[in-house]
Amino acid sequence: MLKTTPPLFDETPADYARISREITKSKYSKNVNIAFLSSYTAEILKPYIRVELAKSSIFSSVYFAPYNNIEQEIIDNNSGLYASNPDIVVIHIGIEDISQNVLTRFYSYSSDEIKNVTSSIVSRYKEMIRAFRKKSNAQIIIVDFAYIQNESFGFSGSPLAHSLSAYIQNINDQLWSICNQITSCHVIKYQQVFMEQGLNNCIDYKLYFLARIPFGVKAQIEIGKVIARTIAAIYTTPCKCLVLDLDNTLWGGVLGEDGIAGIKLSDDYPGNVYKSFQRTILGLRDQGVLLAIASKNNINDALDVMEKHTDCLIKKKHISSIQINWKDKATNLYKIARELNIGLNSIAFFDDNPVEREWIIEQVPDVRVINVPENPMFYSRALLNSRLFDKVNMTSEDTSRAEMYKHEKRRSEFHIKSKSVDDFLRGLKMSAKIGLVEDITLSRVEQLINKTNQYNLTCRRYTAEEIKDIISSGGVAIWISVKDKFGDSGIVGTAIAKKQNNNEWIIDTFLLSCRVIGRKLESILLYYLCKLVKGKKGVILYGEYIPTSKNNLINDFFIKFNFNEVINKENYWSCNLRETNISPSDFINVEFIE
Amino acid sequence: MKAVDIERLYSVISDVLNIPIEDISEESSVNTVESWSSLTHINLVVSIEAEFKVNFTPEDTMDMLSVKLISIILEDLL
Repeated sequence: MLKTTPPLFDETPADYARISREITKSKYSKNVNIAFLSSYTAEILKPYIRVELAKSSIFSSVYFAPYNNIEQEIIDNNSGLYASNPDIVVIHIGIEDISQNVLTRFYSYSSDEIKNVTSSIVSRYKEMIRAFRKKSNAQIIIVDFAYIQNESFGFSGSPLAHSLSAYIQNINDQLWSICNQITSCHVIKYQQVFMEQGLNNCIDYKLYFLARIPFGVKAQIEIGKVIARTIAAIYTTPCKCLVLDLDNTLWGGVLGEDGIAGIKLSDDYPGNVYKSFQRTILGLRDQGVLLAIASKNNINDALDVMEKHTDCLIKKKHISSIQINWKDKATNLYKIARELNIGLNSIAFFDDNPVEREWIIEQVPDVRVINVPENPMFYSRALLNSRLFDKVNMTSEDTSRAEMYKHEKRRSEFHIKSKSVDDFLRGLKMSAKIGLVEDITLSRVEQLINKTNQYNLTCRRYTAEEIKDIISSGGVAIWISVKDKFGDSGIVGTAIAKKQNNNEWIIDTFLLSCRVIGRKLESILLYYLCKLVKGKKGVILYGEYIPTSKNNLINDFFIKFNFNEVINKENYWSCNLRETNISPSDFINVEFIE
Repeated sequence: MKAVDIERLYSVISDVLNIPIEDISEESSVNTVESWSSLTHINLVVSIEAEFKVNFTPEDTMDMLSVKLISIILEDLL
């Protein structure tokens, strides 16, 4: 007898049997009928499939067709298959049940004969799947082929041109491409189960010879899990965003205490554990998962690590939303959801701190909180086994970055569509200050006058002394500063009006820093300029646009503010201050500094 | 060879065959328990293997058709 190491179970088979019976339909909102067509006695999988599906909040009923009655069940309209009204059909035929002789006597076959066997298997599946698809729209899950008996040819088989494994791989390749052409047809890679568990742990010859069950109890549980996971992925939308903590998650240690040089993140233990976890995370990002950070830290220190630490693989550019502050994490998760325009239930939360996890479970129950193990070596496994990012069809358009870019694009389109610019600007929570140019602000105004090119009506350059002269000879010179929710931008614009004669004034200079173009600050600046000129008994205000190679952006400035074109003077405009209705944008708080 | 932990064994049988522990006795068998079918028998065998970390042979498996026989065969392996 083959002696195997007794496997360790989270749940014993007896537990599965008991729990499976205890699953009651009424507690589940999702109910799925599964039909199982197989070449072996698959009933044994029932408790594993049902319990594992219940873990994904899905109630299931499973119909098992009599074994080796696959085509019969598909062809017969009155079969148990159709009576079971399946949402999901799993088809699992063991390669050993199709071509046992080919497996054990592989080298008695010529390569032509092998080709014939291959094409007959492939066409069998093609006909089977198509026949079923004509009759039913149920999701189809095909378990592909693996040779799970011990290799009969030792090591000699593999280098040969037509090796057994190449034969099986070739059938699988063709099978996958058939499944790709059929709608809602998914493949489970059977080999993977045995690779992960080890072939010797999976074989139980006793079950095979006594009961035609091709695998032992450990593999039964794993196959139950993979089938359940596939079905759950069909019905569950994968999380779009992974929110990560920093300290003891992306690196070991606490940045605030250990400093950038003291945190554990390197190519040696224990830093390599965290570096490896970062790789896993980036792998998820490659599949289209958006990354976000919610961490209690000093933002500049944290960004320093991300940008400057050579072993920190996750950089700022990989992160779609960064919430590094001392606010509670629930608030930050809401913020991330808003910023990325995604639902809270599309967010997975990974934090080493059980208190934070608990807080989120309580405060934001929609967020999917990943159960993080204490040992960081198992972070990656916990992340991937969370099933939260499972997608059934990782093919063509779903794959890799394309998905993410698509997603990001959709998001930015949504941004434009869903909000008017004013709504967007309102969201910036801007407040502006306006003041007269005085000594304290003079140097900044001089700087702006001499380097602003784009949003500059006249591009006149003045020294500080010249500006002072303009003011002392009765001109009006003002500045504007702005801050928003992101911070204070300081003085970003200036305007100068000069008296020409009597009640006629001219806008000599009007400019805004390129950093704030599009924020509608010009209406405020112009409003206050007019107001001040009016205060000095000005009635007619002229405006001048002097085109340069760079200020084309504002060639319609005066049209926008309803100035009248002055006849016979190109780019020369006027406005009657008694009639004008220039008003500052209502969503910007303005304070005039006397 | 060790004495079989009857409580553990009966608990597995109860879980797999869906019968109350108090209804299980040495005399319980394929003939007296309705839910003891060829399929649940296989479930029972792998469940006992997993619980007691043993491996039964096919012959053991075919022989274990009552609780008493299960105890005897299991005792040999412990």
